Amino acid sequence: MKKLIKNKKGQFIIIAFLMIAMMIISIGALMHGAVTYYKHEPWQEYLTLIGSIELNSRHLVELSLANYTHTPDNTLRANLQKWQNNLTRIYRGYGIALNYTLASDTNYNYSLGLACDWNKTASFSAANATFNLNITSIGLTGYKFTAVAFLNLTILNVKAPTNEITVTVKGEDKTPITNLEKDNFQVEELNIASVTSRYDQDHILVYIIKCAENISTIVTVTVWDQRGIQVTAKYSQS
Amino acid sequence: MGTIRNSKGQMRVIETILASFIIVFAMSFVNMFAITPTSPKYDVTDLEKMGYSVLHDLDKQGLLARFVYTEEWDNIKAALRVTLPLDVYFSMTVYDLHDTKVNNATIFYGNPETFTTSKNIASVTYGLIGYPKRNEAIYDPRILILQLARG
Repeated sequence: MKKLIKNKKGQFIIIAFLMIAMMIISIGALMHGAVTYYKHEPWQEYLTLIGSIELNSRHLVELSLANYTHTPDNTLRANLQKWQNNLTRIYRGYGIALNYTLASDTNYNYSLGLACDWNKTASFSAANATFNLNITSIGLTGYKFTAVAFLNLTILNVKAPTNEITVTVKGEDKTPITNLEKDNFQVEELNIASVTSRYDQDHILVYIIKCAENISTIVTVTVWDQRGIQVTAKYSQS
Repeated sequence: MGTIRNSKGQMRVIETILASFIIVFAMSFVNMFAITPTSPKYDVTDLEKMGYSVLHDLDKQGLLARFVYTEEWDNIKAALRVTLPLDVYFSMTVYDLHDTKVNNATIFYGNPETFTTSKNIASVTYGLIGYPKRNEAIYDPRILILQLARG
């Protein structure tokens, strides 16, 4: 035994194996770090979180515009302020900070992010806000998105002999709104008998409102879309 | 016989045994940190991912807000049952901003015992801002808590 202990040969093997063991541990730690980083970070969950905040911010802009078209109050800024505060409460621990800028574009004459230009042959209601989202827990900073809500109603023509009003209703990017029915329209002082839609070469889709009574010289049509946004357009027959 | 009595090289054997122990120890030490795809941690993450996706998809289609604000609790339940796998049990509670429970009917599917006994329960929080009605569009947020467990 003494001879064995005193034997000075072979220590190199232990040192070599110790080094191999250290290498295995280091490589293992590196591999663990690299693999679990991507597997463990729930990126899809974060994407859905960002998506849901973006979606609901857009809905809030639409909701505020819908409210503005029903009442004279511009609630967009107040609603966004509340949403900003409530977000931190709904998604606790994420470190969410949502900032916004209301549009002041001169084309649509926005006032605090909202604009309504009614009682014309081509009338519209519009809202526009730009958001900046930061989520500190996932290292997201400066994610920008713009929420636009838009509804346009244009009275194309009025046929007095048949009591028919032809209108076109368009949303964002001038895409026609397709899912409107009789309940979505109102003609001032007249009852609506039926509303039908058909393809049009210039406007893609037009609605034909057939009134139950005789049409007067000035026609006022109001439309609501599924988001609750309202527009009123007026047409004078010469 | 000479080979048995030969005392040279025994230290090498001991060294090799020691070195093997070191390697085995190193391997098991690394293995402690390895997270396999069947680990509970993955299961919960997977359920959370599923829960978020389902709620987000329903919201994108405009169904979630409609069901919540018009209190169509049976429709929410049906929508979740259709979109989630059969072996995933769920329990949903809807709160307002004052933490008052809004849903008077239970939105639940599965074995109630699963939620009390299972160690892997995923919880997903989702916020909604409101739902426009014909003459009314008010900001009235709701907080949805969806709990998921594998049956």
